[in-house]
Amino acid sequence: MQNLTWTGTLGVYINPFFLTALSAFFVFAVSAAARGFSRLDGRNLLNPTPPSIALLGPTAVIGLVLWLLSLTGLPPFAMLGLGNITLSLVVCLIIGLATGFGLFQISSELIFRLVWSTFYVALCLFLIYFIVGLFVAPETAGIVGAISKQLTPTWIALLVTFAVSIYFKRSLGLYGKLFDSPIGMIGLGLVLFWVFTALLGAGFDLIATHDPLGQVSGMKNKHPGIPLRGAEANDYPYYLFGGDTLARDVFSRAIVGSGIVIVIAPAATVFAFMIGITLGLPAGYFGGRLDTVLSFLSNMVLAFPVILLFFLLVTPEIIESGLPNYLAVILFVFPVIFIAVAQFSKNRLKPNFLTLKFPVIMIITIWLYLSLISETGKTIALLPPLLDLFDVPSEILVVFVSVVFVNSPTVFRIVRGLTLDVKTRDYVAAAQTRGEGPWYIMLWEILPNVRGPLIVDFCLRIGYATILLGTLGFFGLGLESESPDWGTTINAGRKLLSVYLAPPLVPAFALMSLVLGLNLLADGLREESLRD
Amino acid sequence: MGMFILRRTGVMLLTAICLTFIVFLMTNLYPNLEKLAKNEGNFRMSDAEVASFLGNRGYTQGKLQNYGEWLGVLPGYVIEGIDGKTRGRCSNHGAIVENTGKYCGVIQGNWGFSSRFKEPVSKIVAKRLALTGKLMFWVLAVMIPSALIIGIMAGMREGSRLDRALSTGAIVTTATPEYVSGVIFIAVFTSSAVGLKWFKGSATSAMDHATLENFLLPVLTIALYGMGYIARMTRASMAEVMTAQYIRTARLKGVSFANIVLKHALRNALIAPFTVIMLQIPWLLNGVVIVEVLFNFKGFGWVLVQAASNNDIDLLLAVSVVSVVVVLLTQLISDIGYVFLNPRIRIT
Amino acid sequence: MTKNNSFMHPAAEMYASEEKAGKLDRREFISRATALGVSTVAAYGLLGLDAPAEAGGHAKMGGTIRMQMDVKAMKDPRTHDWTQISIFSAGWLEYLVEYNSDGSFKPMLLSSWEANADATQYVLKIREGVKWNNGDDFTADDVARNIIGWCDKGLEGNSMAGRMASLVDEATGKAREGAVVAVDSSTVHLNLLQPDITIVPGMADYPAQIVHKSFTVETMVSNPIGTGFMLPENLEVGVKASIVKNEGFEWWGYAAGKGGYIDRIEFIDYGSDPATHMAGFESEEFDLNWETTGEFVELYDALGLVKSQVASGATIVVRPNQGHAPYDNKMVRQALAMAVDNEILNELGNAGLGVAADNCHVGPMHPEHNPDVTRAPFNPGKAKELMDASGHGDFEHELRSLDTGFWKDTCDAVAAQLRDAGIKVKRTLMPGSTFWNDWTKFPYSATNWNHRPLGTQVLGLAYKSGEAWNEFAWSNAEFDGLLAEANSLANADERRVVMGKIQALVIEEGVTCQPYWRLVQRHHVEGLVGVDMHIAYLPQIYKWGHAV
Repeated sequence: MQNLTWTGTLGVYINPFFLTALSAFFVFAVSAAARGFSRLDGRNLLNPTPPSIALLGPTAVIGLVLWLLSLTGLPPFAMLGLGNITLSLVVCLIIGLATGFGLFQISSELIFRLVWSTFYVALCLFLIYFIVGLFVAPETAGIVGAISKQLTPTWIALLVTFAVSIYFKRSLGLYGKLFDSPIGMIGLGLVLFWVFTALLGAGFDLIATHDPLGQVSGMKNKHPGIPLRGAEANDYPYYLFGGDTLARDVFSRAIVGSGIVIVIAPAATVFAFMIGITLGLPAGYFGGRLDTVLSFLSNMVLAFPVILLFFLLVTPEIIESGLPNYLAVILFVFPVIFIAVAQFSKNRLKPNFLTLKFPVIMIITIWLYLSLISETGKTIALLPPLLDLFDVPSEILVVFVSVVFVNSPTVFRIVRGLTLDVKTRDYVAAAQTRGEGPWYIMLWEILPNVRGPLIVDFCLRIGYATILLGTLGFFGLGLESESPDWGTTINAGRKLLSVYLAPPLVPAFALMSLVLGLNLLADGLREESLRD
Repeated sequence: MGMFILRRTGVMLLTAICLTFIVFLMTNLYPNLEKLAKNEGNFRMSDAEVASFLGNRGYTQGKLQNYGEWLGVLPGYVIEGIDGKTRGRCSNHGAIVENTGKYCGVIQGNWGFSSRFKEPVSKIVAKRLALTGKLMFWVLAVMIPSALIIGIMAGMREGSRLDRALSTGAIVTTATPEYVSGVIFIAVFTSSAVGLKWFKGSATSAMDHATLENFLLPVLTIALYGMGYIARMTRASMAEVMTAQYIRTARLKGVSFANIVLKHALRNALIAPFTVIMLQIPWLLNGVVIVEVLFNFKGFGWVLVQAASNNDIDLLLAVSVVSVVVVLLTQLISDIGYVFLNPRIRIT
Repeated sequence: MTKNNSFMHPAAEMYASEEKAGKLDRREFISRATALGVSTVAAYGLLGLDAPAEAGGHAKMGGTIRMQMDVKAMKDPRTHDWTQISIFSAGWLEYLVEYNSDGSFKPMLLSSWEANADATQYVLKIREGVKWNNGDDFTADDVARNIIGWCDKGLEGNSMAGRMASLVDEATGKAREGAVVAVDSSTVHLNLLQPDITIVPGMADYPAQIVHKSFTVETMVSNPIGTGFMLPENLEVGVKASIVKNEGFEWWGYAAGKGGYIDRIEFIDYGSDPATHMAGFESEEFDLNWETTGEFVELYDALGLVKSQVASGATIVVRPNQGHAPYDNKMVRQALAMAVDNEILNELGNAGLGVAADNCHVGPMHPEHNPDVTRAPFNPGKAKELMDASGHGDFEHELRSLDTGFWKDTCDAVAAQLRDAGIKVKRTLMPGSTFWNDWTKFPYSATNWNHRPLGTQVLGLAYKSGEAWNEFAWSNAEFDGLLAEANSLANADERRVVMGKIQALVIEEGVTCQPYWRLVQRHHVEGLVGVDMHIAYLPQIYKWGHAV
């Protein structure tokens, strides 16, 4: 069987157009950027920049870039080197000046229109592979098409979510408003893409083509699109992104790896928020000695370099000593307290609450808590195995605990600051006059009113947690070596990076796109919530 | 002001003491001590040999006693071991050397002896810190000007296409952790697969003489991640300043746009980024560790990794002290600088 | 070497006839004949061949060589646990005997040695005219003192004691009274407790460096007294180290035509990550690497570097430790070995750079290997049945290994195959700094073993009951008896019979999975001579030089 090419037989027809559009886009974008640094015309007619200053931008940018390129000695640019660094700099700057001058002859509107039109053309042509790929065999639409086809469940889920959300966006509050901001929409799209891929790919196994841990003889270190050796009828016939150094399918590992990231990072962030809120609210609200002690503690953790903390905490010796388990006991108790206080302070006067609903909620919460922290046969085995709902493997637990531990002080600081700000507001005073208890005020008056910045920070923090997870994987701390999570895979793949690019780059771009999505989402949310 | 600095220094000392004590406790957990003994003695020692090794070298005296010795408030141990040799803390855990003081802790200026490198800790830290200093200098030299330029250009006309493009670019760099960008850089610029080979994928030779070829990629890798964040802060601050009344007045007076930006807006717009830059420095340590591992540059980050993975107690404590001091010092500078840059704020 | 030529061990002549009859291959013959005290020239002569010319004949004096190597802290040579440590101290500390990649043993600080017929008595002759670099004469007393030092079991981590076991008094843990005798200023007699053909190979191993009587660990670098032609210049653990020629010192080797070309050798530490090594090589930051593994062989070849490769007895064992449940159960161990295909491990774990082995740690490069005894056949179905029958069908095995290189790859491949067979495994990766702390104790882990000249050597070190390096925690009286018997047999056929039984026993007990023998190789830039990969990684830096 032949190797799959990136774009298959379809590519023969589309590629020339696509590449032309793409390179045109880059050329126009660079020109527009150089132009944008120094506009002579445009909307700001009141104080136009004098030409002398305006020309500095393109001269410096184009000139210096050319000069740097000439220093690298690459074939087309080497001739700019001229054998003399200073002379070459002068020549490059002159070229830059000339180009800049030329650019001013084109109106800025035209050049921006060119940028966008080439961009859309390139995008549409690229989408053809994705869309056609859904319906044809892998050979026709190449690797891009085949991957698009594998991702069909994700596309469907995404489409449905977007369609429903946009239709009902007026009644969906802040979430609905997100669909007014292109940035927010792109961010949400990226995040949902990975959420659905994780759910459908790692959870229901609808996407991955092979076993992420399975090794197939003859598939070691193969480039993308390699046909599976000795494939049987029900095997997927290709390794779409090639094989890694242990002959495992790179594509499937990235897909299944998303499951680990998508579960741990948000869950750890939720816990960090519960802890930060449970401690930050009273610190800000009551102030005094409580505040001093808690702030000192949080500053202390913050003064600790994250990486040192990881190296101290996530080692086999520390895991052996059971320290992470004890830390888990302490950290995970906060969500229990949070739920208890929140329920109690709001509903304690309602009939039947204290006798029926509250005990039930608390028993379930505490049971979950005990199941989480106790592990059969390990340091802390509080529950008999029969009642222990689930065991978290100790290496996952320690990773989880460290990410929570690192993040909660920052959340604490944010919540404390917001509380200090909000507690002087009128509605707080009103609640106090009504005779509400302090916990009710904190949880049901202050907290809902600071949710905006907290939601934004929550998105950013999931991204940060994802990066931290990757860092742990990168240093080989915590998760098992075979684990398909992205950090570990990047670390494993970088050894042969100079020859086999796919194994580390696929998870690297996956991680980057998820964090980018979260950042864009946060940006969109911030903009939309400010607009309120 | 003096009182303020004094108080902050006090808090700093307290934090450092608490943190080193925690690090001390963690490195002195028995599994970690076992690791140390086997690294230093021989990796095939039996449990009994480990116990005698540790006992002979004073590791099992009790945590508080040991910590006091490290601090220098208690006299260093002198133990006659079961093997008949007498060892002392002040003689680098070895046979007693004459003319060493009774106390040999941090207070006396003795940072201890590294079990991994067999050298005084202060010497190792100073040397490696200097190398990381070189790296950091270039990182800051690249990161701060470019971040400020990007931020100012994006912020001077909020909402413009230039702003959109630069802001998105800034978000992309903050979404790209060092281990991703480093890997991508190595793949693109050094690998035989792509074939550009413009730069070197190893910065080992940069320790002696740094050149564009061997130092650009590590510097760029760290700088990029921090750059986006600073640029966004600068942009926000710049955008806020540009909407201020006095800028509007200046514009209406007919002051040229360039003059407005450079003479009127810039100073006020730089207050917030200054704080952010100072607070960003400790975060760079993360990047430093990753990049030093990735590019085999043997600086402070590399020492951190070595000390932690070999449980080199004295070295690890010194590393944490240095890190904590850097964190708190930058915070202090950022607070003080804030006062100087912004005359409306008074700290008492 | 006159003595050598006149002396002809009877067994050596027997070996020669076996070689000619095709029962022994040439390397095995050279190895065994020279171990018994026959000189290399004479050994080749017995076969009717000329000895190969000394390497390094085309080297010029002077120059610097930079080598990528882990730079580790110095310690007492007897406790060296890494050849990387010895290669640095080899600048000024030398060996009595050296072992070469062709299997021969050559005298260094000895001029010759001979064994009696049943290998219970050895006569060592000291090389004339050797001086310490502080001006002292090198005498038989020095040799005797060093050998007695090797026998000291009281020194924590002294691995020479195991190699000198036939000289050691079990009760005191020191050399037996009268075991090592300096007869006159140039002769030492060794009186062995039992026949032992491994004693001379033991003297050629990397921890057997000869030290001066004033030697202390603390001052070994600051006051380097030795017989070698170089001196340490600086040593920065984990970063770099260098040794330089001892100008003005009249090294014995110059007169003996041994070489000693190079002026300066720098060792640069690039950590354990081969990607960094490659980056360093590509950036021309060093001339020579320590070892090339896995995929990097092809990559370095493609870079135009010179490859030096040698087929060795270096290997990896993926072994259960019988001190831990469920590995005390024979069926479990057999299942683990049976469930994996050694060919595939060689392909995936070792980049195909080796030959499949038979799970018994004796192979075709050893003189006494019995090729008729092979591993239990690869059979995942049977393996699962055995595992279920043992009552541990649901047990999740935890396979530990180092986090890089063929250790990791091989174990990942083992884990994948075990899973295919329906056996649960999880993998744990550890950095070298933590892994080697407990390498003998992990319930299920992988260790690499270097090449050793004779098949019985590694069995004696790692498989004999109660040995410090017995990572299998295997204790089997039958095996110990067979091994002792093999160690006293000079005749190849007789030994092969015993070795066959040993191999069968090791395989039957499922002691280990030992999937392949490795080809070991290193790469260097053009224009270097004598820097070839050594079959046992031994330091022979006096051969290094730049080509004329």
